[in-house]
Amino acid sequence: MKRSQKEHFEGWLFVTPAFLLQMIFVYLPLAYAIFVSFHRWNMIRPMKFVGFKNYVHLFSSGDFWHSLLVTFIYVLGTVPTSVILGLLLAMLLNLWWVRGKGFFRTMFYIPVITAMAAAAVVWNWLFEPNVGLVNFILSLFGVSPKGWLNDPHWAIVALIIVGVWKRIGYNMVIFLAGLQGIPRTYYEAAMIDGATTFPRFWYITLPLLSPTTLFVTIIQFIASFRVFISVSVMTRGGPAKSTEVITYFLYENAFNYLKMGYASTIAVVMFLIMFSLTLVQFKVSKRRVFYQ
Amino acid sequence: MKKPPAVVRWIVYITLVIAAIAINLPFFWMVITAFKNESDVFSMPPKFYPTIFDFRNFVKSFQVVPIARYLLNTTIVALSVTFLQLVFNTLAAYGLARINFKGRTFVFLAIIGTLMVPPEVTLVPLYILVRKMDMVNTFKALIIPFMSSAFGVFLLRQFFMTIPRELEDAARIDGCGRMRILWNIIIPLSKPALWTAALYTFLAHWNSYMWPLVVISSDQKQLIQVGISKFASMWETEWTLQMAASTVAVVPIIVFFFFVQKQFIEGISISGMKE
Repeated sequence: MKRSQKEHFEGWLFVTPAFLLQMIFVYLPLAYAIFVSFHRWNMIRPMKFVGFKNYVHLFSSGDFWHSLLVTFIYVLGTVPTSVILGLLLAMLLNLWWVRGKGFFRTMFYIPVITAMAAAAVVWNWLFEPNVGLVNFILSLFGVSPKGWLNDPHWAIVALIIVGVWKRIGYNMVIFLAGLQGIPRTYYEAAMIDGATTFPRFWYITLPLLSPTTLFVTIIQFIASFRVFISVSVMTRGGPAKSTEVITYFLYENAFNYLKMGYASTIAVVMFLIMFSLTLVQFKVSKRRVFYQ
Repeated sequence: MKKPPAVVRWIVYITLVIAAIAINLPFFWMVITAFKNESDVFSMPPKFYPTIFDFRNFVKSFQVVPIARYLLNTTIVALSVTFLQLVFNTLAAYGLARINFKGRTFVFLAIIGTLMVPPEVTLVPLYILVRKMDMVNTFKALIIPFMSSAFGVFLLRQFFMTIPRELEDAARIDGCGRMRILWNIIIPLSKPALWTAALYTFLAHWNSYMWPLVVISSDQKQLIQVGISKFASMWETEWTLQMAASTVAVVPIIVFFFFVQKQFIEGISISGMKE
């Protein structure tokens, strides 16, 4: 009995600092966000309780639905493209006779570790409409120059390109791990049966890779739903609100208009959306290696 | 197995090389632009080679904004956070992996649960909290809220659980306390995991943008990412200076990454988590 009491005490001693830190800096703010979302507050005058007014206002606001729409356009543009390209690169690197795998893997991975803010400054320059590199390269293929970040139709496309660029390497690494987890014997059996490259890919690789694909897709879905830095540095939600994603909408309301209550409401709604996505992700990652 | 025909091999290699070039083209262009005359930047077709061979763009960008200061600030903050996280995450991870105490599952779930709360959601209330604690516009605001991370705790706990218990039991019979076991047995055996955790943390805080943007207002205390993007928005068409500043922010990390990439990428595929 004495022994287990000592264990009990020791255990809490070890975990308390981390536990308290998470409580104070994650759960307390989360609870506080919910609290503030029921108030009107500009941080100068005292908080005023308004009930569900912020929520009603939010759901009837065109700006909110617009920002959700923009976010989903961004997500739908970024996720499938980066997943397919990541898979393609992983499959090429997984060919047994390819040399320089480590080198290529590193080259493809560099954007992942690069700071998005600095990269966004560089992409601003690449997308410059008159003398930028992107328009120059397009002109070599006979494509007329685009206004990119100055054009309400093309600005979101530019952000999607940057998002895909940033994410391919991560997807490739996860797919590589998934591909290496597929037992060789399956392919050998298929070879004996005379299966050629494409059927091997379609009937062995893709089905056995599906848990990895699902995992990568959800992870990237959540990550691109949270897009903020590229928007903040490259377009600031513009031109004409065409890139006003939900995080930027939140940021503007909080720190430009000082509508703390309203911004907290946006945060709570965002949390609910992402919470459900994360639950799906946890379910998926548990089943991730079912074939082994 | 037999290699495929040469044509196929060529196609694969060419695809890989083109992909590698395309993905790294922004960095190439950044460095080339940083070594150009201002007038050369606007020539069409663009010049694919540097036109000046000194560091004048770098010198000038260091003069117009305190980039050296940003770098120093970022290093101080990122190293402090990394060190503190190693301490607190290791303690918690060991407690959760090895000590059987009442409430262990609860604490574990509570810590892991924070992974479901993205920083965008707590941005506003955390700012209010930090303001109440009178920490706005200080390094404390950049360090104290991040002294522990769920990801770090999780990563280390998973690793500690793979260490055979027998090693520890032997030491306990000899009368070793928990702290000594942690320090003399667990930590030396966990160096790869600790390194991986430290690298993630350092990188995340070197690259951090949203929180310093909100919480730091004075230029002298700003971190590199926010510093250079503010600089870029103020000196909008000064591409040579912007690219010089970006080079300073990006290249050290890429060089550093080349040395540690194996550990890093393998850490990612093991944990399947990011940033």
